[in-house]
Amino acid sequence: MIATALLNVAGISRRRAGRTAVSDVSFFLNRGEVLGLLGVNGAGKSTTLQMLSGALKPDTGSIQLDGRDFVADPRIARQLIGWLPENAPLWPELSVEEHLQAFATLRGASRGDARAAARRIIDRLQLGELRRRLAGVLSQGQRQRLGLACALVHEPALLILDEPANALDPVQVGELRKVIRERAAAGSAVILSTHVLAEVVAVCDRVAILHDGRLRHDAPLGGSGGGKALEATFFGIATGAAA
Amino acid sequence: MSFAAVTRLELRRLAVRPLAWALAALTIAWLAWTFVLGLGQFLGAQVKLAAVADAPGFTDLVAIPLLAELVKLSFLVVPLLTMSLIAGERRTGTLALLASAGLPPWRIVIGKYVAVLAWLGLWLIATLAMPLIVGASGSADWGKLASATLGTGLVLATLAAIGLACSAATAFPAIAAAMALIITLALWTIDRGAQAAGVSGGFLDWLAMANHLQNLLRGLVTSVDIAWFAVAIALALTLAIRRLGADRERQ
Repeated sequence: MIATALLNVAGISRRRAGRTAVSDVSFFLNRGEVLGLLGVNGAGKSTTLQMLSGALKPDTGSIQLDGRDFVADPRIARQLIGWLPENAPLWPELSVEEHLQAFATLRGASRGDARAAARRIIDRLQLGELRRRLAGVLSQGQRQRLGLACALVHEPALLILDEPANALDPVQVGELRKVIRERAAAGSAVILSTHVLAEVVAVCDRVAILHDGRLRHDAPLGGSGGGKALEATFFGIATGAAA
Repeated sequence: MSFAAVTRLELRRLAVRPLAWALAALTIAWLAWTFVLGLGQFLGAQVKLAAVADAPGFTDLVAIPLLAELVKLSFLVVPLLTMSLIAGERRTGTLALLASAGLPPWRIVIGKYVAVLAWLGLWLIATLAMPLIVGASGSADWGKLASATLGTGLVLATLAAIGLACSAATAFPAIAAAMALIITLALWTIDRGAQAAGVSGGFLDWLAMANHLQNLLRGLVTSVDIAWFAVAIALALTLAIRRLGADRERQ
């Protein structure tokens, strides 16, 4: 499986602010697979995702993306990765449509293709009413949806979502789940970082649990016996019972 | 071409940013007032000037002082314009998004630099339009005006590169603006101490930006002056690119 995986992470570590944020984390991810990344605050989830998105360089370890060394050449992220960071950072002066066109062109689309891609994702995520609204005046939930749209606009092979359900209402959470499953069905791999166990149970095929910067659990969700078993595993690791 | 995409993105942001419009409106109003005053004085002194052999003309007395005034304003305007370019994005998290789009640091820096140059170019053209319109009647020394415009343009390009480097060095736009202002003033006046001590013609004289601009404002275009500006721009942009590249390692 590892040989054909879209993403191969081998022993990545990273120190931040004088402490080890991520230590010797290894896992792989196949196309069409949805991986739930769980962990308490400070477990190293966001640092891991930042390394996978190319925003941070690991101190040690390697990341192979589509068979290529992503650490040495982060430019391969351009078309392969879509990233929604925590709190969806946006440019307040730009409208929803301008954001999507800018992200598409930054990812290498021509201006015409970028306009078409923006229209497509606006329709898919029902952002039509917000099209001309500036990001600076959007609600937190709307910002989150726009951040998701920006991550999806170039139809990436690997979608990295850091707390995507933050500030979304239940209807929007349902829509988010549908979008994630759609992307997986289309052959994309998805990493979903969240605090919400129900979120993982609803959409993920596999779950990985980080604690104190280390990967403490990585197993298919069905194999771990569903929601109750996952809850027991998670709390066991988080409270040190499974250490 | 993703560096063009960064330029377009930055130009769009500048176009809707109130600070850019406020700076443009206030400084052009101030420069127009300076121009009208200078022109009035020039016209009032026509009788006296007519009696002097090789008297300074419209270019020396009106157009070049206007460009010198623009350079003075740029000490404040350029740091204000460039302070958020990278520092602000680092603070809001959007810089990481650009990095995650696979953009190498040089494309981000050059893309932003070109956008600021475009804004400053329009600012220079708006200012230059005043003496050009009056000078079109035939009283301007076009060669000297071209040299002075080149000098002003090079100063603006250098200050933009310094501002961008300072913005890359911090996550706080206000600190970036203060750093850029201090570095600009230091580069402008670095030879003053040596002059006060009676020393001239040394390395400090060469280092002072004012000396290189003075030659160009006098209509003297030399490769030494052009090279000074080119080196200063290249050095500042290289520092900005290196600092941005280090973000992936340092954060």
